Amino acid sequence: MKGKKLKIGIYELTGCAGDALMILNCEKELPAIFQAVDIQSFLMAKSDNIDDELDVALVEGSVTTEKEVEELKDIRKRSKIVVALGLCATVGGIQARFQDPQKWQENFRQVYGETKMELPAVVSKPIDAYIKVDFYLPGCPISKEQFLNFFTRVVKGAPPESYPQPVCVSCKYKENDCLLKNGLFCLGPLTADGCGAVCPSHNLPCVGCWGPVQGGNWTSEFYLLQDKGFSREFIKKKMANFAGTKLSEFWKQFDRRD
Amino acid sequence: MKKITIDHLPRVEGNGGITAIIDGQAVSEVKFYINEGPRLIERLVIGRTPEEDVSLTPRICAICTVSHKLAAVRAMENALNVQVPHQTNLLRELMHMGEMIESHSLHVYYLALPDYLGFPNAIAMASKHEFEVKIALEMKNFGNHIMKVINGRFVHGENTVIGGFGKWPSREELLWIKSRAIQFMPFVYKTVNLFCTLNYPDIPEAETQYACCLPPHEKYGFWGDEILVSNGDRIFREDYRQLTNEFVVPHSYARHSRYQDKPYSVGALARVNNLGERLEGEAGRMFRKYFNDHWKKNPLYNNAAQALEILYCFERLPQLVDELLEIDNTPEIVSYQTQEGQGTGLVEAPRGLLIHHYRVEQGLVKGADIITPTAQNAEDIERYGMIAAQTLLDRGEEEKIRDRLDIIVRAYDPCISCSVHLAEVKTVEETAWENQLAEIKRQASPLFIGIGNITQGDDGIGPTLITKLKELGIKAVCSSELDTQNIKSLVNSDQPFIFVDALDAGKKPGAISLIPLLAVLYSSSLSHRLAPFIQNEFSYSQLKKSYLLGIQPRSITKQQHLSPEVSQALQRLIDQLEN
Repeated sequence: MKGKKLKIGIYELTGCAGDALMILNCEKELPAIFQAVDIQSFLMAKSDNIDDELDVALVEGSVTTEKEVEELKDIRKRSKIVVALGLCATVGGIQARFQDPQKWQENFRQVYGETKMELPAVVSKPIDAYIKVDFYLPGCPISKEQFLNFFTRVVKGAPPESYPQPVCVSCKYKENDCLLKNGLFCLGPLTADGCGAVCPSHNLPCVGCWGPVQGGNWTSEFYLLQDKGFSREFIKKKMANFAGTKLSEFWKQFDRRD
Repeated sequence: MKKITIDHLPRVEGNGGITAIIDGQAVSEVKFYINEGPRLIERLVIGRTPEEDVSLTPRICAICTVSHKLAAVRAMENALNVQVPHQTNLLRELMHMGEMIESHSLHVYYLALPDYLGFPNAIAMASKHEFEVKIALEMKNFGNHIMKVINGRFVHGENTVIGGFGKWPSREELLWIKSRAIQFMPFVYKTVNLFCTLNYPDIPEAETQYACCLPPHEKYGFWGDEILVSNGDRIFREDYRQLTNEFVVPHSYARHSRYQDKPYSVGALARVNNLGERLEGEAGRMFRKYFNDHWKKNPLYNNAAQALEILYCFERLPQLVDELLEIDNTPEIVSYQTQEGQGTGLVEAPRGLLIHHYRVEQGLVKGADIITPTAQNAEDIERYGMIAAQTLLDRGEEEKIRDRLDIIVRAYDPCISCSVHLAEVKTVEETAWENQLAEIKRQASPLFIGIGNITQGDDGIGPTLITKLKELGIKAVCSSELDTQNIKSLVNSDQPFIFVDALDAGKKPGAISLIPLLAVLYSSSLSHRLAPFIQNEFSYSQLKKSYLLGIQPRSITKQQHLSPEVSQALQRLIDQLEN
């Protein structure tokens, strides 16, 4: 694109800051990234940050305080495109486990007691619980390759690529032995690809950290795992670890049917 | 009253801030804020298997992910009685070096150095220092590479499991790490010389306590089964609560800690202070060349300590690879049958001591306790922030406070994600003392201590107020009636003191200010008549709850009565305290 550079903001809500760190981990490409676009705000990397109109806002982290709700809404107002970056922003992260407000409250009390906190907290949610999200780039944390691919396309004004395949696709390309077939609890068939099947390539089952893949056959894998001898409770817990809020509808229907 | 705020601290990992409130000539409050919300990680691992736990808890933090993984794995291995072979520990050490190199080089070059060279960020710094910026990026990339080779990924790798590794790296991959480490050496020396000779400001400087892991051998290292405190105390891992006694503060979702009721610091500077004598080779030589008294009391030297540790890691890498290659087999993952147990894992994250503790029952996590370095440093960050702000204010350099707070927080290399980002300097409202005083009275009945001389005009405000309070039946005493013996009989350890004195805070005559006693103790111009006696007799937490009620005098000359403004102030105080 000729003419003006795109104005970009990178924001961190509650999470491990791993997605912002992954951008800094593009060591070789970093100078080119800073040249290609006008980075208006990137707290982890620079001090001279401005909150102004943006072409693209990249938001990582889940929404966990009332203040973050306001900040997020403000980012949406200022930005043409909002991208959810990483597992916490796309599904709410591992901290989105306690969605029932009462349960959340109980657990909150276990950690912070009765102290009245100055920054009121809310139940952890993905950013699309509060604003419209234009693109999702999942991962815990995001992958460098998917990010650079996404970034290059956006800078050139092309629509970003989508990744509809599960981890199994990469796993097959790598000619790994199927861990599920060998009786291990592997979430590869249900998990969005982006890591390149890194865990199965290390002889370890997929834990699901990219979040649920679109169109994953959860019912079928559930029964498959049950046949392999895993208990219902155990399967549900393992499937929930990295699924955030995105499977709650599925479980409601599943429990009714089953 | 003014407030200096850095609402979103830039160039730190995560979202946090720091606030300083300035009341005339005194800094009345410094708070280190964590703006991130609660993630309740210790709660969401309950009911999960140990394997799920060691996969979930490293998600606390991206930059310390390997340290979290190692702390979790060691805690579980201690709980479940799993003994890993020497070789596994060597490979874990190698992986840990990758994180230290990645995190330290990111911090010293990208986050901290722009402060000292006057740039807003590292990319801008590259216009003048292209070579350093480029090679430092390569160094950071090398650290990431080590973590990827051993742990599977840059961030949140899963190859480290309870009992060993999913896959062992190849001989070629290990040899590549060794040869690349040797290539970096010239730049590593440059890094140490650069950061050990930077012109660090001498504010703040004050003694503190340092805590770190005591390695299980006579050498330097990043893990152990004991904690070493700078006073010589050694604490076994399972007794870690003796060090950390966490408590909740309303302004942060990270719980604070003190040791023996005093703030302490963890991190590279703590390690170099406690273990620096153990450094060997070039790192040892550099330690003896550069280490001096400033390192013992100035948190800004953490940058220098990190640079020294980069050298330590680069010297250790080739040795580790050699040791690993000497043993010519790749161990299997140690399996276990134990379903019950309790255990603690101690490791040094780049920014300091990290503790994981678990209780496992029937094969599932029943209890979890995770104590992160930034949470432990929070008290000392606030204390050094207070010292710096007050000292600068005393020197008439108020405009420097904001930047200095920013630099102090950054020197600690805080990992806010870990502890669950900014600096703010505020001034307070004229009447803010009223609500504050009412709040103190509501929480505990304070002892009022009057200071002054009734023959010296407005200096008599202290004793005069005390006389009135006594008439009202409020617990009050004049400092002239006190000594180290009887004061203990007048207050218990829960009760705060409120000293009442004429105080020149640069305000209008009769203006009232309520200033935390700690600020007074750190101030050269304010710490007048009360310091030596109470500092020795009372605990840090009691002093932290105590205040100085200062009344701006019109004149302190030889006369028996108060000026009209101060008399009015006296009446306002009595009205307020009567209720």
